[in-house]
Amino acid sequence: MTAAKIIANEIKGYHRFVQFLIVLVALGALASLARFVFGLGVTTNLNDTFPWGLWISFDVVTAVPLAAGAFTLGAIVHCFHIKKLEPLVRPAIVTGFLGYSLVCVGLLLDLGQPQRCWHTMVYWNPHSPMFEVSMCIAAYTTVLFLEFLSPVCEKFGYHVPLRLLRTIEMPLVIAAASISTLHQSSLGTFFLIAVDKLHSLWYNPLLPLLFWLSAMCAGISIIIVEATMSHKYMGQPDEGELLETLAKILPWVITVYLSVKIFSLVALTQGPLFNRPGLLVLFAVEVLCGVILPLVMLMSRNVRESSRLRATAAWLVIAGVILNRFNVSMFGMEAPGTFYYPSFLESVVTIGIIAAHILFFVLIAKYFPIFEHHPETVDYSIPDHFRKNEKGHAHGAAKA
Amino acid sequence: MSSENKDFNKTKAFLIDMTKCTGCRGCQVACKQWNQLGAEKTEFFTGEGYQNPPLMSEYTFTRIKFRDYEKNGQNEFAFYKEMCMHCNEPACASVCPVGAFKKTKEGPVTYDADRCIGCRFCMVACPFGVPKYEWSKALPLVRKCTGCYSRVKEGLKPACATTCVSAITYGNREDMIKEANKRIAARPEKYLKKLYGSEEAGGTSVIYLTALPFDELGFKPVTKRPLPSYTWQALRLVPGIFLTVGSSLSLLSWFNHRKERIAKEEEMRKSGATPKEES
Repeated sequence: MTAAKIIANEIKGYHRFVQFLIVLVALGALASLARFVFGLGVTTNLNDTFPWGLWISFDVVTAVPLAAGAFTLGAIVHCFHIKKLEPLVRPAIVTGFLGYSLVCVGLLLDLGQPQRCWHTMVYWNPHSPMFEVSMCIAAYTTVLFLEFLSPVCEKFGYHVPLRLLRTIEMPLVIAAASISTLHQSSLGTFFLIAVDKLHSLWYNPLLPLLFWLSAMCAGISIIIVEATMSHKYMGQPDEGELLETLAKILPWVITVYLSVKIFSLVALTQGPLFNRPGLLVLFAVEVLCGVILPLVMLMSRNVRESSRLRATAAWLVIAGVILNRFNVSMFGMEAPGTFYYPSFLESVVTIGIIAAHILFFVLIAKYFPIFEHHPETVDYSIPDHFRKNEKGHAHGAAKA
Repeated sequence: MSSENKDFNKTKAFLIDMTKCTGCRGCQVACKQWNQLGAEKTEFFTGEGYQNPPLMSEYTFTRIKFRDYEKNGQNEFAFYKEMCMHCNEPACASVCPVGAFKKTKEGPVTYDADRCIGCRFCMVACPFGVPKYEWSKALPLVRKCTGCYSRVKEGLKPACATTCVSAITYGNREDMIKEANKRIAARPEKYLKKLYGSEEAGGTSVIYLTALPFDELGFKPVTKRPLPSYTWQALRLVPGIFLTVGSSLSLLSWFNHRKERIAKEEEMRKSGATPKEES
């Protein structure tokens, strides 16, 4: 049997939904090919009035906060030392790694000259938020890749790299949190330059801080949703108890986010707030359904304890953050009387990217030890090739 | 911003007196010739008024905007020459991740096509909507008026300023502002008593004199503060935040892990066991 046949057989064994995802990814790949053959102008609805469209609004500005689970949870578990949440870390890292890799894909499609993407590394311009974000994304994708290597090494039984990875685990977690803080907020800085373009409902000098805070809300919510769904549809262990803890942390972060948002809206906003009814509705939906409603829900113990309601609240937070990013990067930027909507090909590419994310997540969970990583059940020890532990190094234990 | 000199008085600037413009569009033609820009297939009246082409584009770096209005019962035209404003502190130069834009010491803001990665941040950032994209190409770049830097550097005037018979004056920025104020003082009934470009976006190298209010002609209302300062007030905090977050998380985890380690050692001492192999 040839390799191709083995793969074909393997795919035949997949669930219908997974096969459907593969088709979507293939369509997305075809559509992105069309972008390079026919050019951005023909395949997208972008023009000189709307230089940034769906690919920036969703694939970059929205996808980055949605992938924030890894750094948030990493910091919660390892730095704030809430150890029992550890089983959730790996799925979060895989989501983060996939998310950032796909952000890179989306960004490369959107660039006019993707073959020159290395220019950002050579021609530095520290005054550019885009420079800062691209450096961070490059660094953070590397960090996530290293963190992702752990399950890969476990799968293939590479013990020496595992030991190395375990040594640098803490530095990686801290680097992840600091780098993420920078670029999550700098995505907000992008729009600080759009002084007379972005509507004052969203434009205020604290936009970077708001982006960072809402990214953490999104990150925690994504973990809740992901764990709930992978328990329901993929037969993975039920992490309900851990998610309850997360659902206890989440309303605190939302409260901080909401207070900063209200403060910046009341105290720091210049310019009229109520002159665009359409935008006002979008803003109201974003804040009421995406921030306040889930906050109220999560304050009740019943919601936090019910797997279904908890996931609903998390979904609302995610929807709120998505709407917020679209409001900032798309709707709020549109001048009165102008309107942008994504072209068919743009949509197919973005759908393909979302499908790729789910597909790769399912496949990685299938082939690598992601969910089985319960520290209390898994044998952590490395084969003692160097006979170090036999001598009884107690301090070696602290790091592990 | 990378502009070392904060004094822009000696940089070269355009003084464009729209009241003297006749709408001949010689500047548009001269611009196309010097910059070797292709023709655009256009139709009359696709834009707001008589202007043609309807908008600036990858093929059109400058254009004359026409506005009809009535004066003493007569139909009149007012004009607005749209072009790159060559800001003193350009937003495009500050946001470009690869530094493809540069405010030259002579005044024009230049664009280095060999560096550009085509991210279009300059187009989002520019308050005047100047940079345009090569939407027709598979691997597009940005195009914009370069203030004819290749000419200015050799001591020539820009192509449009050379061609224009009446409306464009080119020279040191302080002299242009002086001249503009002199004209307003000499003919106060003719001019709006404001300059566009002396303070807009922190000051630009294109100064306009008009008869009609700016917004009626299509000038964009723009903040008086240099745009790069808006993002810089957040970006300047980046190294500090990085170090603060990094070090406080390191400290926090060191303490937390230490607590755990001590608890473990205590436990071991109590149980009297030798420290056994541990994870």
